[in-house]
Amino acid sequence: MERETVLEMKNIIKDYGSFRAVNNVNFSIKKGEIVAIIGPSGSGKSTLLRCINGLNSITSGEMNLKGTTGMVFQHFHLFNHMTCRENITYAPIKVKNENKADVNKRADELLKMVGLENKGDVYPAKLSGGQKQRIAIARALAMRPDLMLFDEPTSALDPEITGEVLNVMKKLAEKHTTMIVVTHEMGFAKEVADRVLFMDHGVIVEEGTPEEIFENPKSERLRSFLSSMLRA
Amino acid sequence: MDKIMEFLPFMLKGSVLTVELFVLTLVLSLPLGLPFALGSNSRFKPLSFLCKVYVWIFRGTPLLLQLFFFYFFFPLKLGVKISAFTAVVLTYVLNYAAYFAEIYRGGINSIDRGQYEAAHALGLSRGQTMRDIILPQTMKAILPPTVNEAITLVKDTALASTLAVTDLMKATTSAVNRMTDMTPFFFAAIIYLIMTFVLTLIAGKLEKYFSRYDAKEEW
Ligand SMILES: Nc1ncnc2c1ncn2[C@@H]1O[C@H](COP(=O)(O)OP(=O)(O)OP(=O)(O)O)[C@@H](O)[C@H]1O
Ligand SMILES: [Mg+2]
Repeated sequence: MERETVLEMKNIIKDYGSFRAVNNVNFSIKKGEIVAIIGPSGSGKSTLLRCINGLNSITSGEMNLKGTTGMVFQHFHLFNHMTCRENITYAPIKVKNENKADVNKRADELLKMVGLENKGDVYPAKLSGGQKQRIAIARALAMRPDLMLFDEPTSALDPEITGEVLNVMKKLAEKHTTMIVVTHEMGFAKEVADRVLFMDHGVIVEEGTPEEIFENPKSERLRSFLSSMLRA
Repeated sequence: MDKIMEFLPFMLKGSVLTVELFVLTLVLSLPLGLPFALGSNSRFKPLSFLCKVYVWIFRGTPLLLQLFFFYFFFPLKLGVKISAFTAVVLTYVLNYAAYFAEIYRGGINSIDRGQYEAAHALGLSRGQTMRDIILPQTMKAILPPTVNEAITLVKDTALASTLAVTDLMKATTSAVNRMTDMTPFFFAAIIYLIMTFVLTLIAGKLEKYFSRYDAKEEW
C-alpha cells in the first residue's frame, strides 16, 4: 500500500532580497519517512526547514503540507520562565485547548521518553544543553505534529553529550515518526535516515539512500563535502 | 510638643494626598506604558512614529512645564474646569507612561528572536506570544529601572505643591511659614524616606520572585 504524502514541495524558491537562498527545490516526504539533509554552511538547509513551517515565507513555488509541523532548533529556545513541564504543556493547552489532565499525562510520558522524568518542575536554566534539547523535543512532540523538523539539533552541544539527544531521535525513528533532520552527524544520517539530501547553494544536488549518498557520491561537490566532513 | 501636635494633623493629611497621588499615578501609568511600548515597536510606521513622538515630547520637556500646561490647557482651551489634583494626576500619568514605555521597549527588545520563533513553531498567536512568552521574560530586566522611576516619582510628587494641591510638600512649607520652625522639614523627609524604603522592600521581594528562572537565553 502506498503511504500517504505528508509534504510536497514543487519548484520552491526563497530569496532574501536579491540573494537566492533556496533555488528551485522539489521535495516530498511520506508518512513514517526519515529524511536527512546535509550540506555545507550557508547552503540553505535551515531556510528550507523554515519555509516548511512558515517561519519564512516562500518567494515562489508550490507547497502542500498535510497536517502540522513541530520544530527543534539548534539553540533549543526553551521558554526560560516556564518549568520543563510548563514548556511541554503550554501549547497543547493554550493553542489546541486540550484537556489539562490529558496533557499532563502526556507530558509525563514524554518526560520519561526523553529520560528526564525527574526534571518536570525544574527551570531550563538548571539543565545541561543536552537536557534542554531533549525537553525541546518533548515540547514539540506534545503537539502531536505530523512532521518533525530538526535543525542541527546537536550542533550547539559538546561532542560527548550529542549521544543523549541522538538516542532520543533514534527512538522516534523506531516509532516511525515522520521527520526531516538537518544534521552534520554523518553517522546518524547513515544509520537512521531512509533518504539523504545533499544541498549546496540552495539546490538539492543529490538525493538517495544513505548507501548511494555516502558510498557512491556521484557529484564532485558531494565528494568534496564528504571528505571535508571526514577531515573535521 | 504642642507645636508638633498643631502641625501634625495637617501634615499627615498632606502625606495622605502625596501617597494618593503616587499610587494613582503608578497604577495608571504602569499599564499605559505598555501600549506605547508595543506601538513604538510596531511595523505599522505611522503608529510607531506617533508613539515615538509621544515619548520624545514627554521625556524631552520639563515635568513642571507639562504640569502648568495641563493645568491651564483645560480651562483656557477647552473651557472645562478641572481640579488641580486632576491636572496633576493626568500630567504625571502621561509623563510616567512615556518613561515606562521606554523601559518596556528595552526589555522587549532584549528578548532573543528564538523565543518568538519557538512560539510561532508551536502555533501560538501573536497575542499569546507577547502576553505569555515575551512579556513575562522581560520582568526581571525591567524591574530595576521601573523601581528607579517609581522612586523618582515619590520625589516628583512634590512638584504638585506648585499648583493648588496641598500635598506633603505644601503642608510642610506652610507649616514652616506659620510656625517659623524647621521641624516640619525633618518630619517630611522622614515620610518621603519611609515611602522610598517601602518601595525598595517591595522591589527586593519582586526581584527574588522573578529570579526563580534565569531570563537570559543561554547555550
Ligand atoms: N534573514 C536572512 N537575511 C538574509 N540572508 C539570509 C537570512 N537567513 C539566511 N540568509 C542567507 O541564506 C543562506 C542560507 O542560509 P541558511 O541558514 O539556510 O543556511 P544553512 O544551510 O542552514 O547553514 P548552516 O549550516 O550554517 O546553518 C546563507 O548564505 C545566509 O547567509
Ligand atoms: Mg542552518
